[in-house]
Amino acid sequence: MKKIRTVIIEDEAPAREILKHYLKDFEELEIIAECADGFSGLKTISFSKPDLVFLDIQMPRLTGFELIEVMTEKPAIIFTTAYDQFAIKAFELNAVDYLLKPFPKERLHNAVKKVIEKIGKSKDEEKSASSIIEKFPKSASTLNRIVVRKGNAINLIPVERLKYVEAQDDYVMIYHAEGKALKQQTMKFYEENLPDKDFVRIHRSYIVSVQEINRIEPYGKDNHVAVLKSGEKLPVSRSGYKHLKEELNF
Amino acid sequence: MKHPVFGNRTRFFVWWLVWLFIGLGQALLYYFAYGSIVNLTIVDAILSLLLYSGIALSLWYPFSFFNKTSEKLVNVITNLIITGAISVAFWFFITKLVLKLIMPEQVNLNEYWIATTPYRIGTGVFIYCLLILTYYLFVSLSNLSEKMAREARLESLVKETELKMLRSQINPHFLFNSLNSISSLTITDPDKARLMVIKLSDFMRYALSRKDEQPVTLQSEFDNIRLYLDIERVRFGDRLSIEETMDSLCMEVKIPVMILQPLYENAVKHGVYESTGKVTISTSVISTNEYCEITITNNYDPEAISAKGTGTGLSNVSRRLELSYGNKAMLKTEKQNGIFTSKLFIPGTPQVNSQKDEKNKDSNNRR
Repeated sequence: MKKIRTVIIEDEAPAREILKHYLKDFEELEIIAECADGFSGLKTISFSKPDLVFLDIQMPRLTGFELIEVMTEKPAIIFTTAYDQFAIKAFELNAVDYLLKPFPKERLHNAVKKVIEKIGKSKDEEKSASSIIEKFPKSASTLNRIVVRKGNAINLIPVERLKYVEAQDDYVMIYHAEGKALKQQTMKFYEENLPDKDFVRIHRSYIVSVQEINRIEPYGKDNHVAVLKSGEKLPVSRSGYKHLKEELNF
Repeated sequence: MKHPVFGNRTRFFVWWLVWLFIGLGQALLYYFAYGSIVNLTIVDAILSLLLYSGIALSLWYPFSFFNKTSEKLVNVITNLIITGAISVAFWFFITKLVLKLIMPEQVNLNEYWIATTPYRIGTGVFIYCLLILTYYLFVSLSNLSEKMAREARLESLVKETELKMLRSQINPHFLFNSLNSISSLTITDPDKARLMVIKLSDFMRYALSRKDEQPVTLQSEFDNIRLYLDIERVRFGDRLSIEETMDSLCMEVKIPVMILQPLYENAVKHGVYESTGKVTISTSVISTNEYCEITITNNYDPEAISAKGTGTGLSNVSRRLELSYGNKAMLKTEKQNGIFTSKLFIPGTPQVNSQKDEKNKDSNNRR
């Protein structure tokens, strides 16, 4: 039988140790790599295309959530986390499993059994890991960086450098100080997770950083356009104008 | 303040009941004073008490005004006496006037009036004194209940804040990750696991036993910080190293308990959590003439766009310093060249504090 190729991505050595120790009991599993941070984890996943990933959430450089966002492969994911009250509910809906550290051996065995069953079944039944990401707010705090992928490079864009977000069918185009990037996400996600006081949804298709707005000009009969510092002009809808008014107090 | 009688239905009822009794008393008194004119004494009693009751009700307003404005007892008493004299005189004449109007054919009214005058004045003054006492009682009672309510509110507020502080101080990430490390060590290194359980217990005990804002010595605060950093070092291994230089002169200086913890948690969070390389957290304590200067530095990965904290850790520290020292202590932070520095200035040279230490030792031991 072909073994389930497994990667452990976890930044604390003792946590990796206990996971490996517990996993010894499973002959079906083969641990092919261990990574101590999100970036090397991502590299390893795209390089060796594992079947199963044990993923910590809080890690240096790239968190577990961000890793899933930019990952193109779709291995089965088991989250291991010490404490994440918001994630818990979401994982119950979507991830193969989530383990709250410290977890007992039996708990891990259940999780691994689920994976074995799942991988045994036909591939199309598999839930893709990326569908998890839409379901839950990333964390208790608002978004403070956005991960995008350009070819093989991963860029982390701090929200302060974000100029505006434009809707493009199922994607959004993110315009930032260094250029632009396409990402598969919804406008709703950004509307809900970008810091309220810094970003305003001025139009069905545009969310703009308040800092970037230079002026607002009337356009046509009762429409407006926002002129950015860089000179770009973005349409402002009637309800968007109301939002702007509330936000900027004019 | 609200009017004591109008504000409440039961009181309104009781008020009139009391006047009824006073009226009966007066009727009896006048009956004995003048003799057999039952009709007149009853009408007089009802009329005069009705009038007095009205005056008494309105007397509340000048009374509460005097009570509020003048601080001196002499002033208050003078005001009350003058008001009393005016009220009684007013009552006396208006009663006579009305009585004459409604009973014009009563023949011996004048005689009756003269005979009852001393009693009348006496009753008026007596009722006036009674009234003032009642009002005083009412004011002090309502002040008391207000004070009690305020105290209860304050107490619950303090408790709530304390709980919040406690919760924010023991980071759940830290706790559960430490437990996970212990779980792992039980397999790979049971002795170390045991040691870590002890360290974690000591740390938790220190954090949880903090019932009030009783200050502790810098020494015990640093002992606890060392426990914390030791535990974190088990989790992160080589990634975290610790350096410290301590001026022993400062170690007996008192500071608010757990005030350093958030600074070290910050150092770990923004240093170790966000970086793949090695992070050194170094502490130096220097005593100057006025201050004990505590400097905590950590390097961080400047490329990591760190998850910005909510800033509650640092602002909590500043707030608590302000509450304990006024503006004599302060916290300064700075970020430069990949090094994050927090500087804490705690007032008090060792000499100044040593006397207080002796006093506080007893209470500390008891705890």
